[in-house]
Amino acid sequence: MKELRILPGPPPALETCVFTAHWPSRLDLKQEIMDAISAQLLDRGWISPADCPWVSLCLDEVLVNAMMHGNEGDPRLDIEVSVATDGKRWVVLVSDQGTGFTQAVVPDHDLPQSLMLEHGRGIRIMQEWLDELSYYRNGSCAWLARQRDDVTTS
Amino acid sequence: MACDFLIVQRYDNLVLAKVTKERLLDPASITSLSDALIAEVNRSAMRPSIVLDLAEVGYLSSAMIGKLVAVLKAVKAVKGRMALAGVKPSIMPLFKITQLDKLFDFSEDAEQLILAYRRKPL
Repeated sequence: MKELRILPGPPPALETCVFTAHWPSRLDLKQEIMDAISAQLLDRGWISPADCPWVSLCLDEVLVNAMMHGNEGDPRLDIEVSVATDGKRWVVLVSDQGTGFTQAVVPDHDLPQSLMLEHGRGIRIMQEWLDELSYYRNGSCAWLARQRDDVTTS
Repeated sequence: MACDFLIVQRYDNLVLAKVTKERLLDPASITSLSDALIAEVNRSAMRPSIVLDLAEVGYLSSAMIGKLVAVLKAVKAVKGRMALAGVKPSIMPLFKITQLDKLFDFSEDAEQLILAYRRKPL
């Protein structure tokens, strides 16, 4: 299993933040939030339409984790979402008001005994598709980054 | 356990279940689908063969993948088998990353799978 970066400090400053919003921790708002973030990425050409299933999957995972685990499903607690770029990559930052988590709660699905588990696959999937998945503030702030579709590598 | 986006056809102990929804992301849909599939397993005779046709599905969450494992457990508990058909190339990597390609049989075509299961009963 790839090592999961869970750091105690705050995330790096976002160079160019194009979108920030707060939502209460309500799963019925999840699709609205996902649509808003996806539109930010798609409209700027930072992702392609073919990326949409993966972006949806990553956003679904990170939003559910923030709302239901970080904020324990308390609708009085907000999540904050930012969309940014460092020039070559897009970054989505999702922060909750919880205390974070440790790698110990994430099952290692490389182990045969984990194969039939019904949970814990989301982080693994995100790690595979994203260029970077890091957690700051002990896990209460998820940092998702991937190379922009409109930036070609030389 | 009605699921309004699941079409089920039964041929003795063969069950062909077709999902007619593109996005399996929201908790209500995920629960509805998995409950309906487990109900199908429970109402089947021993050793059912379940083919889940996902040809219309373009978006899956990890929660849905977890529920597919739950359905598979129910199938295995009655000595049955379960296959996934028509999985789009865009989401097939999800099954490989999570190593679920080792748990399920896969086929591009649900009808072919049903025929194969008929030829080779459990």
